[in-house]
Amino acid sequence: MKRRRFLKSMLALLGSTTLLSFLYPLLRFIAPPTGEARVERIVIPKDEVPTGGAKEVVYRETPVIIINRPGKGYIALSRVCTHLGCLVEYDGRKGRLICPCHAGVFSLDGVVLSGPPPKPLPRFSLRIEGENILIG
Amino acid sequence: MTLWQRIIRWLDERIGLTELVDTHLKGYRVPSEAGVFYTLGMVAVVAYAIQAVTGFVLLIYYIPHADYAFHGLQEIMRKAPFGWLFRMMHVVGSNMMVAVLFLHLFSVFFTGSYKKPRELTWLTGGLMLLFALLFCLSGYLLPWSQLSYWATTIVTAMPTAFPYLGEYVTRLLRGTEHVSGVTLNRFFALHVAILPPFLVSLMGLHVFLIRRTGISPSPFRRSEGQAGGYPLYPHFLLKGLFMVMVYLAVMFFIISFMPTLFLPAEANVPADPYKTPAHIKPGWYFLAPYQMLKLIPNKFLGIFIELLLLGVFLLWPFLDTKEERNIMRRPLLLGVFLLTLTLWILLTLWGKYS
Ligand code: FES
Repeated sequence: MKRRRFLKSMLALLGSTTLLSFLYPLLRFIAPPTGEARVERIVIPKDEVPTGGAKEVVYRETPVIIINRPGKGYIALSRVCTHLGCLVEYDGRKGRLICPCHAGVFSLDGVVLSGPPPKPLPRFSLRIEGENILIG
Repeated sequence: MTLWQRIIRWLDERIGLTELVDTHLKGYRVPSEAGVFYTLGMVAVVAYAIQAVTGFVLLIYYIPHADYAFHGLQEIMRKAPFGWLFRMMHVVGSNMMVAVLFLHLFSVFFTGSYKKPRELTWLTGGLMLLFALLFCLSGYLLPWSQLSYWATTIVTAMPTAFPYLGEYVTRLLRGTEHVSGVTLNRFFALHVAILPPFLVSLMGLHVFLIRRTGISPSPFRRSEGQAGGYPLYPHFLLKGLFMVMVYLAVMFFIISFMPTLFLPAEANVPADPYKTPAHIKPGWYFLAPYQMLKLIPNKFLGIFIELLLLGVFLLWPFLDTKEERNIMRRPLLLGVFLLTLTLWILLTLWGKYS
């Protein structure tokens, strides 16, 4: 009987080892690749974003909007809504960013004003160098 | 002896064909009150078969690549002979298959057919419904239209409601930060290679369980009907065949007279990852949970409640263990059933028109 138990546990051990040795490479294979930290920089002439205007760009594969807020200057925000990922649209007249999917409304600083988004829009650091706006 | 009879005899000598037909088709009895609602399972199997066959045909021309998928599908619709027919059958069929599964589920629930000893039959059926929805979800992205792209963006963002693990799950589903060509390939593999064997195995298990426990008699029958019920063949199978014809008639009615029912305007615009169209909506079968998520202000709470409801649905036979199968004698259960149904319909309509 003891021998039988020993053989059973060996079989279980062998079976699970075989399974795991296939499972691990499989999981690694389908896991999302870790994004390499790429150095990217975007340069935009200031006159492309007049006061009260905005420009859409793509930075590190993320859609970004650069807004020239009246009296507050430039800001770069992710356009990806923090609710479920739709892209917010700039409404210059109302001075708001509006998500077309579930009517999430953000201020021009990226703060949630109304609707379901749980967090503000992520902000990207931005610098002014001479006549240019630099992101990254 | 005709050639046909000789073939039958040849098979009979080798695999006992006559005995097989006598015991499993003619000898298998179905409750005499088994009406058209009892055939919905059979219709669902045929519906899935139609999806599989039209899917195989579409595979001949479809290119699972972000640069070609949309235009390739347009070419299938316009240039490939009868390409439009197979595509439309696949699109309309997917929606109708879900509708049939829902109806099947309602009738099983209403007749209390999930009760002991049929708990596992319910469980496998519930899992099959989930797999059918996964099929719909993965297939939704493949045309690579604006509708596909943004509906998939919304659905794959749902796990982010869960702290820590959520972001990872979303990235795992998408393969990249945002929905991209990598996501398209993942969903394509899921749709054509990973999901089918699971669904077919579940279907096999479901049918096996039905054969083991027998079709449950209706709790509403008044008279005893024909003693011992009717034979599966020809009575019940013919009834099923009639319902399959009804299914096909509805399908071709939609294809002929309402071709845009499941293909709104955004389905004809190629995916643009930098422009979200206004009022993007998931398929009608996801509208109720989608609207619910919109209404519950806390994203985590919303998804948590939905998962809880899903668990209750799958494990229902283990929660409702009362022996009484006639729902008319259980006013509370009837009330809950009607309330849930009404809520589901209301949320779906609200989701559609909000
Ligand atoms: S995705 Fe923006 S409000 Fe829902």
